[in-house]
Amino acid sequence: MRVRVDSERCQGHTLCAMIAPKVFELDDIDGHSSVAGENVPADQEEQVREAAHSCPEQAILIF
Amino acid sequence: MSVDDVAADDERKRNTYHFDRHTPEYRHQLASIAGEMHEKCPVAWSDTYGGHWVASGSREVFELARSAEYLSNDHDIRGERRGYKGISIPTPQRVASARGGFLEMDPPEQRYYRQALNPYLSPAAINRWIPVIDELVRASLDEKIETGRIDFVDDLANVVPAVFTLAMMGIPMKSWEIYCEPMHAAIYTREGTEEAARVALLHRQMGMDLAGQLAQIRADPRPGLVNALLELRIDGEPQPDIEIFGVLGLLLGGGFDTTTALTAHALEWLSENPPERERLSRERDTLLDSATEEFLRFYTPAPGDGRTFSADCEIAGTQFKEGERLWLSWTMANRDAALFPEPNSIDLARKGNRHHSFGLGIHRCIGSNVARAVFKRMIVQVLDRMPDYRCEADGTVHYDTIGVINGMRHLPATFTPGKRLGAGLDETIDNLQKVCDEQRLAEPVTARRATAKIES
Repeated sequence: MRVRVDSERCQGHTLCAMIAPKVFELDDIDGHSSVAGENVPADQEEQVREAAHSCPEQAILIF
Repeated sequence: MSVDDVAADDERKRNTYHFDRHTPEYRHQLASIAGEMHEKCPVAWSDTYGGHWVASGSREVFELARSAEYLSNDHDIRGERRGYKGISIPTPQRVASARGGFLEMDPPEQRYYRQALNPYLSPAAINRWIPVIDELVRASLDEKIETGRIDFVDDLANVVPAVFTLAMMGIPMKSWEIYCEPMHAAIYTREGTEEAARVALLHRQMGMDLAGQLAQIRADPRPGLVNALLELRIDGEPQPDIEIFGVLGLLLGGGFDTTTALTAHALEWLSENPPERERLSRERDTLLDSATEEFLRFYTPAPGDGRTFSADCEIAGTQFKEGERLWLSWTMANRDAALFPEPNSIDLARKGNRHHSFGLGIHRCIGSNVARAVFKRMIVQVLDRMPDYRCEADGTVHYDTIGVINGMRHLPATFTPGKRLGAGLDETIDNLQKVCDEQRLAEPVTARRATAKIES
């Protein structure tokens, strides 16, 4: 599984980082989300799927 | 208009609903109104308040809220642009002297303000304040813990957000009472009543204090949101005081009553559902986050926002004309069964909870991290220190109407008394002010990264 945050859509709701803190990092200044790397460890796949479903802006792409 | 124009207009507005959210009926019938609108007209034309569109379906709200190029938040106070009326429907009777801060601005101006304030309100910025928030909650509960009686609104949920917001602004925390009552009373007091006159006086006193603080911080800078606004330059220019006051009004309005509303409703519900309360307390490490989002969804403290169409457009299957008004109902979108199975039930472990309670798009609530942090810290201490509290229906007062904030005025409760853990509220506020000043906690996170340190 690979994951990316669409930085144009992200508005800093922070739900992703609450659900999958090992995968999503929040910017110190505006709380917008990004991933350190696109590859999702197997034990994080469920959380990443849940994070994508929980994003109000639908800004998380799983591919 | 020609006959053809009238016919075309009727066709565009064929989905109608008489929508008036400023009535007690709306509060009581929320779920059924939402269900009806979702089924028949998720975008509807309502003749109320001069005629406006109402978006209640989650899909439609999503598309509309993210169409910033067609939707303006502008409030053209002096009629210098296109005469748009901002985010309140109806437009308040009192003539506005200023816009409601950056919530009533469009980009690019709106963006400059948010960029100036983000470093004070980001998750990293708010996390520094947790020890301060905890101390405020501890002291508020200590004031009542030995009596076995508390009003969760008056004694806790009104207090902590108010004191903390002032701290972040750089205003002395001990002034909180000057700000607290007018900010809350303004929401539920009817215009033209005797009570309204008293509230207006409290508002003027608050305004005077705020003006005094602005002048002091300008003359002798101290860190905080006020300072950030004074330092803001757009195209090299400082911003007019009138706009700064508008932003401060927005921050106070956003910072006070909304978190109070969320906390009161959640505590009331937990009292009515003791097994769920026990479960939340026991499983807080895994459940508190999702429970917070679920209370946000179900109670939607800030129920919606107005917009003006800035161009003719077609969005989500409806054609709109420039100048028409739109109400984006976060509340009703949050009850859309298409997105939230069993939408009118509270499920503390709800998954996929992409609720709309902090808005959507570029105007997402800048205080969302404050709301979540303050709410959670209050809930956790109540669960720990008064786990058997029982709210009293007699004396509980909900706002009659929830068109502006879905809030509560009073929430009395009894509980098994406990022991004080520290100093009372006034002394705690004095101590915290010293901590705040010495450690310069109100600096932006870019200037000061570390968490507050409080000697116990």
